[in-house]
Amino acid sequence: MAVALKRNREAELTLEEVVAKYPDVPRLVALKIDAQRRGVHYTEQALSVVDDSVQMRSPYIFGSRDGEIKPLPESLILRDGTSILTDPTPIEQDPYLVDLVDGRLALVDNGEPVEFVELWPKPLYYDKQTSSGIPMSHIVSARPQRLNIFQSSFCHFWADKKECRFCDIVNHTKQQKDEIGVPSRLKPRDVSETIREALKEPGRFTGMCLTAGSVLKGEQIFDREVDYYIEALQAVGENFSTKKFPSQLIASAFSEKQLARLYEETGLTSYTSDLEVLGERLFNWICPGKAQTVGYREWQQRLIRAVDIFGRGNVGTGLVGGVELARPSGFTSEEDALASTLAEAEYLAENGVTTVFIVWVPRPGSYFRDQQNPSLEYFVRLARGLHRLRVKYDLGVDFDDYRRCGNHPDTDLSRLL
Amino acid sequence: MSAQLTNEIIDLLKDKETTKVLATLDADGFPHAVVKQSLQPGEDGNILYLELLESSRTNKNLVRSIWFDRKVAIALKGKDGRSWQIKGKPVKTHITGPLFQKHYTAVRKRLGDVDLAAVWVIEPEEVIEETFAARRAEEERKHPLFTHLDRLARQ
Ligand code: SF4
Repeated sequence: MAVALKRNREAELTLEEVVAKYPDVPRLVALKIDAQRRGVHYTEQALSVVDDSVQMRSPYIFGSRDGEIKPLPESLILRDGTSILTDPTPIEQDPYLVDLVDGRLALVDNGEPVEFVELWPKPLYYDKQTSSGIPMSHIVSARPQRLNIFQSSFCHFWADKKECRFCDIVNHTKQQKDEIGVPSRLKPRDVSETIREALKEPGRFTGMCLTAGSVLKGEQIFDREVDYYIEALQAVGENFSTKKFPSQLIASAFSEKQLARLYEETGLTSYTSDLEVLGERLFNWICPGKAQTVGYREWQQRLIRAVDIFGRGNVGTGLVGGVELARPSGFTSEEDALASTLAEAEYLAENGVTTVFIVWVPRPGSYFRDQQNPSLEYFVRLARGLHRLRVKYDLGVDFDDYRRCGNHPDTDLSRLL
Repeated sequence: MSAQLTNEIIDLLKDKETTKVLATLDADGFPHAVVKQSLQPGEDGNILYLELLESSRTNKNLVRSIWFDRKVAIALKGKDGRSWQIKGKPVKTHITGPLFQKHYTAVRKRLGDVDLAAVWVIEPEEVIEETFAARRAEEERKHPLFTHLDRLARQ
């Protein structure tokens, strides 16, 4: 199902050129972006040193660039603690190689070692099963310091063919269910048991993230989605001695009443609702389901109102960085895309909402499958632009930082906030 | 470029009674020097520093150091009065994995309900003896003119 996409990188600045041009951006973070942008390919030699201590790819809400589910290492971590969330990529697409250099794993480009890397350590609960007999790794997946609970992997926007254009959730869910038996909706009891087991490992995790597709049903739109999350968060909460525990919910744009329920009835400490792309015109094109059910302006206002409930620095929105340049209706210049995105993000920051991005990877199961993501320079400028807004507005992002998430180059920079 | 730590320095780093100071640089280049008793020898010739607070200035300065290649300095003073300075650079931080978890458990056993943010690995690049008697002998040998005349006057 992989789509062969050969990049034309000749016109783009290389990693070292970008680092020289933007000396305030660390080389390690620029490298992370580039590895996420281009993907990685594990050589046979690299795979020969993978042992049972390594976390192998576990179920994920979205698919990967090679469109396959194969037993390969989950991902990489750099020597400064920066996680690289990237997935195996067909060699024809010009990924970085993960290879053995002097007996150590390294990212290699054009035959030259670029940086040594390590693989993610496997948490102990990955070898256990719930009392219902499901591998715990199918219930809660791990990052170096975070737990991911993908409560359900169905999104109602897909039913009407109104899914976000970069998203492959439903196609990927079907594949995961068919090939490895991952449940498409989690049972609270399985979640509770898995979290209990994960917490037995001292020093292993600092936070958790719950997310799922949008559920439109209920008396008010999203009521059912809120019910599901409350059920799951209460199951998680059984394992903590405190009412609140470090946690992030990435969900639809809820009303104040729905947010108040989430805040009061669960241990949730932060709330994220992804606009995915900033600017009404592009939002309407790229996220037709969200646009039709809530609308761009109302989605923004719901985020801003969430600050009154969760507090400044605890509310965010996520972007799929780069889709603003998708063809045929996106920006045609990186300069214009950046200016527009940062202006919209500034409005949110002024109102206490922080904006983060992930690097857009055109996935085989998505509508944008045959497109190409922007240059490394673009992503580096986007990362420093979003970070600078946090500096300007003194806006923290502890709940979604390098450690509690690890998937946002802009919040990697915010380690210095 | 790495310098080798002598057994004497390794012993000083291990000794709880040694005073240990870690100096880092902030964003504006100002030094930030703090007593850090968690400095200890690593197993590979490097020095480990256990950071308990994610948001501490030292931690941010160390992140800046590993990102932008800035040096740090460590001062050690043993109970016998001998002292050393080690200049070096952070080359790695463990925020997860077996070494991190080992120290996380150990530090909580030792200090009670504290957290551990990172285990920093500092590679020594230069080791300088700062014991006064040793430094004085060195100065007298290299710079015999650096003295006040009254010290040399006939009594
Ligand atoms: S809301 Fe959009 S991005 Fe999220 S799961 Fe649904 S289609 Fe995918």
